[in-house]
Amino acid sequence: MLELKGLSRHFGGVKAVDGLDLTVRQGEIVGLIGPNGSGKSTTVNVIAGLFPASSGEVVFQNHALNGMPTHKRLQLGIARTFQNIRLFGQLSVWQNLWVAQNAPEDHARRGFFARWLGGQSGVRAEIAQLLEFSGLAHKQDELAANLAFGEQRRLELARALAAKPKLLLLDEPAAGMNSEEIGQLRDRILKLRAQGITILLIEHVMELVMGVTDRIAVLNFGQKIAEGSPAEIQADPRVRKAYLGGA
Amino acid sequence: MLDFLQAVSDGLLFGATYALIGIGFTLVFGVMHKLNLAYAAASVGAAYAGLLILQLAAGAPPWVVFLCAFLGGGVLGWLVYVTCFHFIPLSNPLAPLMATVGMLLLIDEIIVHLTAGMPQNYPAMFDDVMLRAGEFTLRGDLLLVAGVSVVCMIALLALLYRTRLGLATRAVSQQPVAAQLCGIRVGQVNAMTFIVTGLLGGIAGAMIGASVGTLSPLLTAPLTTKGLIVTVIGGLGSIPGAIVAGLLVGAFENVFQQFRGVTERDLYVMLLLFAFLIFRPSGLFKQ
Amino acid sequence: MDFYYGLAQTVGIHTLLGLSAYIVLLTGQVTLAQAAFFAIGAYAAGMLTVLAGWHIVPALGASAMFGAATACAVGFPALRVKGLMLVVATLAFGEGVRLFFFNFDYQVAKGEIKVGPLGGEGFRQIRYFQEHGWSTGEVMLFVWVFVVLAMAALWWLDRSRYGAVLRAVGEDELAAQSVGVNLTAVKVSAMTVGGAVAGIGGGLYAHYTTHIEHANFNVLLATFAIAYPIVGGLKNVFGTLAAVIFVQAFLIEGLRFLGDWRNLLFGALIVAAMNLRPQGFFGGRRA
Repeated sequence: MLELKGLSRHFGGVKAVDGLDLTVRQGEIVGLIGPNGSGKSTTVNVIAGLFPASSGEVVFQNHALNGMPTHKRLQLGIARTFQNIRLFGQLSVWQNLWVAQNAPEDHARRGFFARWLGGQSGVRAEIAQLLEFSGLAHKQDELAANLAFGEQRRLELARALAAKPKLLLLDEPAAGMNSEEIGQLRDRILKLRAQGITILLIEHVMELVMGVTDRIAVLNFGQKIAEGSPAEIQADPRVRKAYLGGA
Repeated sequence: MLDFLQAVSDGLLFGATYALIGIGFTLVFGVMHKLNLAYAAASVGAAYAGLLILQLAAGAPPWVVFLCAFLGGGVLGWLVYVTCFHFIPLSNPLAPLMATVGMLLLIDEIIVHLTAGMPQNYPAMFDDVMLRAGEFTLRGDLLLVAGVSVVCMIALLALLYRTRLGLATRAVSQQPVAAQLCGIRVGQVNAMTFIVTGLLGGIAGAMIGASVGTLSPLLTAPLTTKGLIVTVIGGLGSIPGAIVAGLLVGAFENVFQQFRGVTERDLYVMLLLFAFLIFRPSGLFKQ
Repeated sequence: MDFYYGLAQTVGIHTLLGLSAYIVLLTGQVTLAQAAFFAIGAYAAGMLTVLAGWHIVPALGASAMFGAATACAVGFPALRVKGLMLVVATLAFGEGVRLFFFNFDYQVAKGEIKVGPLGGEGFRQIRYFQEHGWSTGEVMLFVWVFVVLAMAALWWLDRSRYGAVLRAVGEDELAAQSVGVNLTAVKVSAMTVGGAVAGIGGGLYAHYTTHIEHANFNVLLATFAIAYPIVGGLKNVFGTLAAVIFVQAFLIEGLRFLGDWRNLLFGALIVAAMNLRPQGFFGGRRA
């Protein structure tokens, strides 16, 4: 579904991502881990279209993405969450989801006027579903800025789902969560996979990564140093060295 | 050809004042990431304040008037800071902008009221001096204007790069939160930025008055526009940019005034701005 | 009674100007170009009724279209200019339009006299209402029909998904892009709608004052345009209306016992409003 071929992204002299090859197959949950500064977030940003690649390719379902603007990538089916949540604070929970309903199926189903100028009634059912899934139904009219941190994270995820993505890029969704919350997040991610969504998970929190991914790729200084199942990665000495330093 | 060069040289000399105004706009933008639209009005106001000294001491020499304008500018700069930036939460982008518009209108109206709308004569120095270099003339008063402006720019750069206040200012412009955590009193730094730019503006206003010969409240709007154009062409936040752009706009404007007259002149300056916006929106120099 | 009708007309026309800025401000674009679209609407409507003998309603329709078309054309390059630089760019555009009309002559002989815009002298004798026997009260109602229509349309947009998307773009462009919002389409369309509303306002203005000239459409008018939605708050259209009523009534009432100090108070009023309530009358949280 998603292929990164020799992907590189330079910022001046710094090679944030250096020659990365990665394949994500449909229905997989792939983890991308590595120490701080290893290029994980940059990779996500390039896939999402925020930065152009310096060299190499990003191919999604046989579409070459180079040069495609972010909103078009969303329409192809790539959605992402942000590491430091970027909700529309002055809009309500409901409105945050409403703004994000940009999937092509929605475009086809409702005419231009209904989609843009119509009121809330036409989409109540769909948004209600998202709210149910995220446990935010009781707060639908609350301003996003007023939500608790955990609720904001759930809204961030729900908003990415509003566009009915095929590929979901999760950028450190477990940061700051306790064990119980991580467990809930794990369940939610597995439910999403059951619905047919492919997931690329950037994460530091090993509890989540090891417990939910099929395969993990490890980055260090922008390069992939290891790839394999969670068990293989845990046992890999190169990975240990990257995280903990020398022998 | 000679006419052209003469126009350029006069324009460059006068452009030094535009550079000062541009520096004022760009410095506030660089440090606080806000636009102080009242700046040019405050500069003109400070020039008028300089005239006040003549009310008290009728025969005072011109440099005293300039000094009062200089100091008046600092006071007005501080006043604008307090009324527009000190109390309004800076996370709100529109409110301080609007408040500076209010101050611009207020300063303008005060000037109109105190002078009954009549233009006031402004003292000049060396206006009877003409230096000749071959067939070229350099007006003495314009040389003074340029000279004083250059001295001020050097003083400002020295302040920014050689003093602790300057260091603190640059720190705040790059990372206001971190600067605060390092013990820098951001409010004080911001206030000082306004006072310093106000002093510059006061001198700029006085120099404009001196070279034109009269002061009128009608100066405010075109000066604001020109100052902003200089700031944008130079690159928002860049002092060297404001200096170069100020000289460029001064020369450009004067050349077009010489060859196409006053009414079309402004249109050409506008076109210069649009050219930059289309081909080089970040300006001559980045911050 | 005529006095109050006149006041109501002014409030109505200024509300249209303010509303044209309101919709653009929602997307986070601070625009000083609305007075330019207003001017284009004014000259267009005036020329159509006076020179081509059109009925006022289609003439206003044409004003809306001219305003919208110009705004759309401005909207695209405006995308390349970020943040406060847009303020300068739109200010320069507005000045450019004003200078254009300063130089614009198009006169046609009607009977023995020549009518039409004449450069610096402006465009006189826009007497559609007088020639067709409209009373002041009827003109006022006519103006307010458009005001109510504009307010209703914008109110409806506010409650639609388009309104939520506008505000999302205004709040965080990056996040909006990432959830699939086409920034170009949103920002340019908002600018276009604003241009249409300003065009209608301008067309009405031309017929209500009967004489327009370039100086009417200056930077001051452009700042009034954004002052209303900022002072009124961006929560809903009523904020803009409240701000217009407040300002106009204050100025007019101030006129009574303060003579011509009212202009002074206007500036002070804005500064005070921004300090006391930076989010505007009807600003702050909305859901």
